[in-house]
Amino acid sequence: MTDATEASAVLARARQGDGEAFRALVERHSRSVFRLAYRMTGNEQDAEDVVQESFLRAYRQLGRFESRANFGTWLYRIVANCSVDLMRAKQARHDQARGESLDAANEMPAAQTPGPERLAESAEIERRVRQALGALSPLERAAFTLRHYEGRSIDEIGKTLGLGTSAAKHSVFRAVKKLRMALQPLRSE
Amino acid sequence: MTHYAEDDLILYYYGEGRKRVEIERHLDECGACAATYRDIAGTLAIVTEPELPERGDQYGLEVWQRIRHKLPEQDVPWWMLWFRGERLMLVGAAAALVLAAFVAGRYWPRQQAATVASGPAPTAPSAATTDGATAQRQRILLTSVADHLDRSERMLTDIMNTSDHRDISTEQRWAEDLLTTSRLYRQDAADIGEQSVASVLDDLERSLLEIVHSRPQISAADLEQIRRRIDAAALLFKVRMLSDELRQRENAPAPSATPRTSTRKIG
Repeated sequence: MTDATEASAVLARARQGDGEAFRALVERHSRSVFRLAYRMTGNEQDAEDVVQESFLRAYRQLGRFESRANFGTWLYRIVANCSVDLMRAKQARHDQARGESLDAANEMPAAQTPGPERLAESAEIERRVRQALGALSPLERAAFTLRHYEGRSIDEIGKTLGLGTSAAKHSVFRAVKKLRMALQPLRSE
Repeated sequence: MTHYAEDDLILYYYGEGRKRVEIERHLDECGACAATYRDIAGTLAIVTEPELPERGDQYGLEVWQRIRHKLPEQDVPWWMLWFRGERLMLVGAAAALVLAAFVAGRYWPRQQAATVASGPAPTAPSAATTDGATAQRQRILLTSVADHLDRSERMLTDIMNTSDHRDISTEQRWAEDLLTTSRLYRQDAADIGEQSVASVLDDLERSLLEIVHSRPQISAADLEQIRRRIDAAALLFKVRMLSDELRQRENAPAPSATPRTSTRKIG
């Protein structure tokens, strides 16, 4: 039996509620799911939550999965949307409009503004980038991650996140503009 | 000279957009747009891939262990319901009933007519006949469920008493057969209003599923977890009690015309 035939047989069994078959899918895709979830959330614990929720959501919706489609692509969409949902929930919980906290990202206390020698350190740059990414809205961050790290086209981003092409494009634009503003001090120093 | 918007330059950076050749030419000629583009490219170059935490080869298995007991019911498109095994069996059973009713209908009037011709008291198909058929169906089902519960009890007892670190593949096959049967009986029990029977069968299915989905070479910890759940649900007790109750009902005198609905709560 070829890999493709075997994969499709496993998928067919999983769609019929076979737990063992679904286990095979989980074991096969977990690492790539974690990778995407981590890029999307930027946080290990959140990424683990997304991995878990994505597989549970995938299991529940397996009946709706069209066997002609690619399971990996379908799962990828679920992971991306779970990440957005988790980031939104987190945002609501913390009662912080992080999407609008661009100013906050720029308003670093003077005492904490690092000198040129510290800025040269990659760890500091990474910290500032992480902070700037954290200030994006969930949708902006998701669209930016898909475009910048995952190399997805605007059309693909729209399909993945269930957005129109225009909305996907503008999410990426807003993300890049916010990052430019937030990281401007870093570049000019 | 027409300048390009930041959005166009962002798309250009990512290799998208329709005006790539024009933008390229423009950037060679326009200092302002070239500066904006350099700024965009410079910023995005800083945003490098975060270092991904390592996940080992066993990660998939770890994820599975975390979610296996949380798997929800699958959403099923309505049209697929008709192609599921249980449904097909129900449809088959319904078709057989319709056929039986048709055949009976063909012969019934003749017998009735004969009775009218020869006997003094004409009889019409009564509600009592229908009630009798329902009661008969109920009786057959409950007897089958009692047998099913006895088999399940033996299997559960086996699991509760088996030694740790052993192969439970035989019990798993057994549990798999019981699971299929249990689902059908649960559906039938619910259909005839035997809610307490359906409820115990539902509890039973959870444990059977867990056994079926375990590794054949089960670890002592996993086995212990299954046992704890069986204990926590008082499953063996419920199964025994229900089986006894159904046997008593089986041996009771023929039921009256009113269908009996068990209201006794087990567990």
